[in-house]
Amino acid sequence: MIDAVDRLLELALSRGAAAAEVYAEQSVTRRVKVFRGAVEELTSARRKGVGLRVFQEGSVGYAYASDLADESLREIVDMALANARVADHDPDSVLPAPREAPAAVEVYDPGLDQATDEQRIDLALAVERAALGADPRIKSVDESAYADGDAQVFIANSGGVRGQFREGHCYAYAYVLGEQDGQIETGLSFTVGRKPADLDPQGCGVEAATRAVELLGATKPKTTRTTVVLDPFVSASFFGVLSSALTAEAVQKGRSLFAGRIGEQVAGPGVTLTDDGIHPDGLASAPFDGEGVPCRRTPLIADGVLQGFLYNVRTGHRDGRDSTGNGVRGSYQSMPGVGPTNLVLSGPQVPLAELIGGIEHGVLVTNAIGIHSGANPVSGEFSVGISGLLIEAGRVGQPVHEVTMAGDIVSMLRSIVALGDDARWVPGGSVLTPSVVIEGVSIGGA
Amino acid sequence: MQLDDLTADLLGATIRRALRHGGDFAEVFAEDRRSLGLSLEDRRLERAAGGRESGFGVRLTSGERTYYSYSDDLSETDLQRAADAVSAALRGGAGGAPVTNLGAVAAARGTAVVAVPPAAVATDVKAALLRAADDAARAADPAVSQVIAGYLESRQRLLVANSLGALVADDRTRVRFTVNVVARRDGVIQTGYESLGKSLGFEILDEDVAQSLARAAAGKAVTMLDARPAPTGPMAVVMGNGFGGTLFHEACGHGLEADGIAKGSSIYEGRMGDLVASAIVNAYDDGAIAGEWGSAAVDDEGAPTQHTVVIEQGRLRGFLYDGLRARDKGVAQTGNGRRQSFRHVPIPRMTTTCIAPGEASVDDIVAATDHGFYAKSLAGGQVEPASGNFVFGVAEGYLIEHGRVTAPLRGATLVGNGIDVLKSIDMIASDFEVKSGICGKDGQAVPVGTGQATLRIAAMTVGGTG
Repeated sequence: MIDAVDRLLELALSRGAAAAEVYAEQSVTRRVKVFRGAVEELTSARRKGVGLRVFQEGSVGYAYASDLADESLREIVDMALANARVADHDPDSVLPAPREAPAAVEVYDPGLDQATDEQRIDLALAVERAALGADPRIKSVDESAYADGDAQVFIANSGGVRGQFREGHCYAYAYVLGEQDGQIETGLSFTVGRKPADLDPQGCGVEAATRAVELLGATKPKTTRTTVVLDPFVSASFFGVLSSALTAEAVQKGRSLFAGRIGEQVAGPGVTLTDDGIHPDGLASAPFDGEGVPCRRTPLIADGVLQGFLYNVRTGHRDGRDSTGNGVRGSYQSMPGVGPTNLVLSGPQVPLAELIGGIEHGVLVTNAIGIHSGANPVSGEFSVGISGLLIEAGRVGQPVHEVTMAGDIVSMLRSIVALGDDARWVPGGSVLTPSVVIEGVSIGGA
Repeated sequence: MQLDDLTADLLGATIRRALRHGGDFAEVFAEDRRSLGLSLEDRRLERAAGGRESGFGVRLTSGERTYYSYSDDLSETDLQRAADAVSAALRGGAGGAPVTNLGAVAAARGTAVVAVPPAAVATDVKAALLRAADDAARAADPAVSQVIAGYLESRQRLLVANSLGALVADDRTRVRFTVNVVARRDGVIQTGYESLGKSLGFEILDEDVAQSLARAAAGKAVTMLDARPAPTGPMAVVMGNGFGGTLFHEACGHGLEADGIAKGSSIYEGRMGDLVASAIVNAYDDGAIAGEWGSAAVDDEGAPTQHTVVIEQGRLRGFLYDGLRARDKGVAQTGNGRRQSFRHVPIPRMTTTCIAPGEASVDDIVAATDHGFYAKSLAGGQVEPASGNFVFGVAEGYLIEHGRVTAPLRGATLVGNGIDVLKSIDMIASDFEVKSGICGKDGQAVPVGTGQATLRIAAMTVGGTG
């Protein structure tokens, strides 16, 4: 692969690119889904591909291919150059200089590839078994799966940046249906790690089952304004959506509700949000980002005060500063954008039981749907569907569903009054967050 | 090796190899996809990216089990390796289902003719449309502060061969144009979105089309600047046409996909013939509507697409099947076996899902509503098929008072349960329209359409901030 990377870089420069960058990846992924004690689907895959970014007369063009034969490489050089001709001049599109060493973070564990297919199947089965055995009201485990990926990433640019690393991860999850008196409620849980031995299939299955069963008997609560406790799953989704407004790209393009607010109190006192690209436990950690810039830790909100934004090379150049190592890529098929790595929400933490004990009326929100369609990171407005448990006189009780929760993100952040002591990693966006207590939130029900 | 080099002999040998230790069915799906995406933001064409990917997947099924292996190397070695990987799961078995010999490749009969292949049009012509959209949106109102316009074209050539003797080729061209407008006034920010997507060529676009999409998106964003917070609670909801079809897609469509039915995780399981909607509701899925974004001549298993009635006068009449679930149930495939790419197994998916139009006019419906919420355009949603609970965001909403559309309302979400909501549909207008979108399920994104006329739901929960 590294050979194809070098050939492509050379070819781009020899065919007229003023500067060029090649990003390549090669991976093996495996997935097993089980249903009712048997394998439902077993997938194994090999994937490779290369993306080329060329810079010519101040414009950028991009092209990619999965075929690494010479003819295909020539084709993408021509395509990238043609795309650069149509793109507008962009004085900020530049390559990063080779300055610093990649971050020292280990993101591959050889234990990943020592696992056998039988062990992978057993893990998925163990998750399903744990969920089914957790409660007689579990109707079925709609999905129970194990998946892993072992990828190698390469980058080289004409300015001398060169690097490669190997990344591995695995996870298992269960999506469980509980049933009582004809009512069905669902529960989801994950377990993630660098190798199968890191996973907790029993805990995952039981938690998914518990999350479904505790909602059985749910009713619609009255429409009101109340205190909500977002559990880590729900909190992670919210901060995931919010993070797009914390990129320099959103700020520079006039679509961030945080623009011009650095130094202002944007969240409740004590609330600290950090983008941590080198957290040893974060699945989005890496030695360098999609442009070869070393990953690092970037404070976004400290004690409720907005500290700064996430940058890639281009948005950094525009503001006269360095990239924060947030030049993210979806795959070799996409140009680097700007986005979070691992988001870590921290602050003074209070035992969860104590927090709930102090709430007279409220809702413990354990599930939110429609966050991606219902939360608008540009306007800051959100309105989502939730389910959870009512809190009355400091006790968690009656489950509720078909409820909406609405507000605006900034008011909600400012109304965060406490954080729980139950911080955990939630995959998807890779967020480390505890439960979050927010006052004065509108909920809509009957 | 290229897609065209895959001979019937090689495909047949791969299928036999996959089945050599057992199994009921084997398939090879190969594709070659070229795409180009352009995007404009901040008045500049800043992303011009294209590429080509090709690859194949070998699938083996045995009872309810599926084994899949894919690679992006279209080589004989990798085809053998993939066949070995799937057959290894059944090693020790005595040999699988007989394999029907593959004949000549049957080219799928296209649903529409591509008049202007996008690849034949110069890239700067496409870029000019984005600039025209940008100018039109900015000229529409001084409050417009940002325009993000996108152009996407793709040509996917595919070949599917299976042990039942199918050997089908398809050639799909899709073009999509999107405009997102941000408007800002006195510290309030709102967005508006419009799109046009078809399984057709560049003939669907010109400067007029680009400008009118841009003006419509700008209109939405600017109108919403004056919006006040939406109310909260149950009320009558008038759902707009086109994007309003997201209602049916989320509230019902996902629950009709046969994988959920087979697993008992859909509320529609065991309810065939039951009244699941108001008697005025007739609904169907149609993957064969000529040129629609969600259409194709065949699905991703090579089965012809079709018009499938799912609800007739409120009664449940049909489910959406892929090959695996159809064979398992002993029913006919409905052409709904779809996949994002060769990297995914086909699963039952909607194509263009529609509620048939009625005879009322939109004015009649509004006039008949004393107090309610007019959800003119929806932003997308999500459903839990097992419970039928769904939610979707409203992109453009208004208050209805005394039979008249009055103030714009912002920040609303609609929540409800599929069957409850379908049963409360009490008026359907005649202004039927299909809109294009992307639907995600099991980590696979596929192009879909929603078709609907304006309709009224007697009561559902609106979640606003007012």
